[in-house]
Amino acid sequence: MSPLFINASSDFVAVNDGDAAALDLKPLVAEAVGPVRRIARFIQLALIGAGRCGKQVELPKDAAVYLGSGRADLEITVEVMQALWRDGQAPKPLSFINTVSNAACFYVAQGLKLTGRSSFVCNRYFAFESMLQLAALDLECGFVGAALVGTVDVVVPPIAGHRVRLGLAADRPVADASHWLFLDTQPSATTLGRLLAAEHCVDEAALRAWLARQSLERSWHLATGQFMSAEEASEWQRELGMQPFDYRAGRAYYDSQSGAAIGEYLRREQGTLLHLNRDPGGRYSVMVVEKEGMAAQKDAMGVEKAAT
Amino acid sequence: MRSVHLTGFGLHTTLARGLDANVAALNRAPLPPREVPVRFGDEERLIPYYVLAEAPLEQLEERFERALHGVIDEALQRARLSRAERRAMGFFLGSSCGEMPVLETQYRRDLQISRDALPMLQTSSMGNLANRLRAPFGIQGPDYSYYTACTASANALLAATNMIRAGRLQHAIVVGVEMFNVMTALGFSGLQLITRDIMRPFDRRRGGLVPGEGCGAVVLSAEPSDSAWTMLGGANLCDTHSISATNPDGSAVADVIRRALQLCGLGAEDIAALKAHGTASLLNDEGEVAGLRRVFAEIPPVCALKPYIGHTFGACGIVELALFCTSIDRGVLPATPGICAGDSDLEITLNQAPRPQGPGKFMMNYFGFGGSNTSLIVSRSKTASFNSPSPARAGEG
Repeated sequence: MSPLFINASSDFVAVNDGDAAALDLKPLVAEAVGPVRRIARFIQLALIGAGRCGKQVELPKDAAVYLGSGRADLEITVEVMQALWRDGQAPKPLSFINTVSNAACFYVAQGLKLTGRSSFVCNRYFAFESMLQLAALDLECGFVGAALVGTVDVVVPPIAGHRVRLGLAADRPVADASHWLFLDTQPSATTLGRLLAAEHCVDEAALRAWLARQSLERSWHLATGQFMSAEEASEWQRELGMQPFDYRAGRAYYDSQSGAAIGEYLRREQGTLLHLNRDPGGRYSVMVVEKEGMAAQKDAMGVEKAAT
Repeated sequence: MRSVHLTGFGLHTTLARGLDANVAALNRAPLPPREVPVRFGDEERLIPYYVLAEAPLEQLEERFERALHGVIDEALQRARLSRAERRAMGFFLGSSCGEMPVLETQYRRDLQISRDALPMLQTSSMGNLANRLRAPFGIQGPDYSYYTACTASANALLAATNMIRAGRLQHAIVVGVEMFNVMTALGFSGLQLITRDIMRPFDRRRGGLVPGEGCGAVVLSAEPSDSAWTMLGGANLCDTHSISATNPDGSAVADVIRRALQLCGLGAEDIAALKAHGTASLLNDEGEVAGLRRVFAEIPPVCALKPYIGHTFGACGIVELALFCTSIDRGVLPATPGICAGDSDLEITLNQAPRPQGPGKFMMNYFGFGGSNTSLIVSRSKTASFNSPSPARAGEG
């Protein structure tokens, strides 16, 4: 694929590890896009992440929005189902409308005054990678001119039930998260790096064939996603001989952790990152991002200020 | 850029199971919906609904899987792909309800055991459905589950088209699904968007929509086949006028249609006929017609399919495409006799009698909640039509 410029990045992660009142997101939404009333946390998280990208760079009006998630807006769906089946109440009109997952895309587009393409896509294991693949393709084909690409994960109280729902141990910390990149075919004064690849491989053989076609260098960094076993991650590390880049250590659980990889890399490292992830069915996803010399010289603090 | 061919459809609607039987059913006038009793709490409401043919509303979990497997199987058989081709193909899903019929059934069962039961404990990802559906068919390509309300499967189709055109995929299957669930029935009822009569898009008497069940699948391929149909492309844009209605001035509808034409390198005059979205609601129909007027100096022949099958929401992108293309294959533009027959307050007329229709370029429009507007353009050449279902080339690959 043709390289795409990462002209803004934002990462928001809020550990939500108890049933006490969760972090109030309203002020953060207001800071990111202005006050928005009567929206639930999933939409708030989308607005915080996308809005922070919008603070770093002027978004063209026709920029597209690609929002993904591992499970979509669980919170509103759970709320409406409980009201309906446990409490015997028909869905309230606004709640029902907000069960359409692209409601978050609507609020992002409205908040940032965008009128371009708008997609909400769910993918269980490769949520962020999938959105990058779709956005990169559309940019490459000239189907869209610029794209906000992000994922959102939301914790649904009670936390114990949320852990059961996600198949997690009873003491595993969980988090709300919102990771976003702004991609453009053109560099800007805010360029942080370049996306060089976003690929899907049907199996290990396909991944190996893809890797064989690349000019890999041992000076690159290698990161592995949360759904790849530690054993396999070690094997790739050994085989490829790249420097490890760990962005997951100590991270509370949410489904789209891959969304953190690029932003973290651009803030913390220099060079090129190869990110591999694997789903339980043996399929792989690949992301390659490069922090160029020019981009590296830019003040990373500017990004860190905007990211949490 | 490569051509993208539509090589096999599978379809199950309230009209019939199977593509051919569905199209045959378009020869009769639209039938009114049945009323489905919906019970919740101490209340029962009768909600008009178009329910799948040959699939009684019982054992909803098994019914859900059976219907979807049926249309995927039909589409794959018509496309005649080898095992190796299936393995690498992409899987695209578009839906509004996702697995809601299954989730509701599971939760109701759990609540009978404990009032403290939580919903969505067994299935909590809207991405799981794609994984569950593709696995039995040996599909290992990427999966993308579009949840963009009524444009979901149209957007999935657009993404699949772009992936094939750019050479990322050789084949893809796009599946649309909308099945009966109480949340949808009561949600639209609460919004007062449901009519008890036949849907009458753009008609002076239009009174709203009727929810419809529908499952459809289409196989897209980079390789020329017997199929006469190609996907030329389309566009999707976001209308931020309102989360639940298209801008009634037609500007957003016009924008997405113009963008679709531009991306396909066509002018408005190149469109031989179009399939309207036509939800039969006051404002949306007004916005749709206003949009068409902004683009077309003379609006081409228009057909609407929801009077036959109801509004299949996220599935309508594929379901209506399948009905439309197969009907044109039979040489006719579908008609809705007596609906929007010439006295519409919107000054538009729907096709009233099966009208001979040859090859050409056709527009399919879809507009949904969340400001999602999509316009697709397909082309039919002079040759051939869809394959009959036949076994896959199982020995190959």
